[in-house]
Amino acid sequence: MEIHVDCDACVGCGLCVKDCPMDVYEIRDGVSTPVRPENCMGCLSCHEICPAQALEHRGVYPARRHYIDIRVCEMLRKVI
Amino acid sequence: MNSGYIDQLQESFHTDIVYRSEDIPLECTPRPREMEQTLHGVMKLNGLIIRSLEEIAGRGANAVTYRAGKKFGHETAKYFQKREDVEGALHELSDLLRGQYTFEVWKPADKENYIIEENGETFIYLVFHDCIVRQTLRRNGLEQGGPLCQTLFGYVVGAIEEITGRRAKLEIVHTGPNACLKKLVLK
Repeated sequence: MEIHVDCDACVGCGLCVKDCPMDVYEIRDGVSTPVRPENCMGCLSCHEICPAQALEHRGVYPARRHYIDIRVCEMLRKVI
Repeated sequence: MNSGYIDQLQESFHTDIVYRSEDIPLECTPRPREMEQTLHGVMKLNGLIIRSLEEIAGRGANAVTYRAGKKFGHETAKYFQKREDVEGALHELSDLLRGQYTFEVWKPADKENYIIEENGETFIYLVFHDCIVRQTLRRNGLEQGGPLCQTLFGYVVGAIEEITGRRAKLEIVHTGPNACLKKLVLK
């Protein structure tokens, strides 16, 4: 797993550090740093919790998303 | 009620299709796209049942759903080959659950084996990727790790017990939007 943190966007709040069960992140020089990316299991909780949307994971398996409504997405696509 | 409407309604359920008892449907009908509304309806209903159960039974809701899941696990796995090794049982279980849940056996990088012994406990980490429970909870805006998750725990425990004959317990380590980490404790 490759984890990239946008250092310009990261506010160093430490939420990802607290949330990660595998201690993948640490705060270094005021920004979140993935110190153990090999321990990441791809739950993406950090993505959900990050207020700055500063994280990017490469090589993650995306779980199926049945809860997203195709019709709603179609309508949104028309608007967007 | 307007009789014209009733006629129209009855007509919509009348076809000229000849259906014989030996006719076995070879594919799912209607197409998955048309099933979407049904799927959302089932997810919504399940979410509401679980929410109501929790409101009325409180913490007892977990026991009810766990037991239901366990029965389901025993019931499904009883047709599978019995084996003693847990790894083989998990492999069999992943085939069994395909389409509803997909999981992998996982270990932190500093551990040598998948079967971990720590603080007098023997356990295996499982990462659940695709999960119908998570989909249902997110569809309804419900918290993960509640009574509906207990059905999955019961299911896995019931199936492992049925296949290996060993007692087991499943614990939540972490829940996420894309995957959940569970600990299968072997007894």
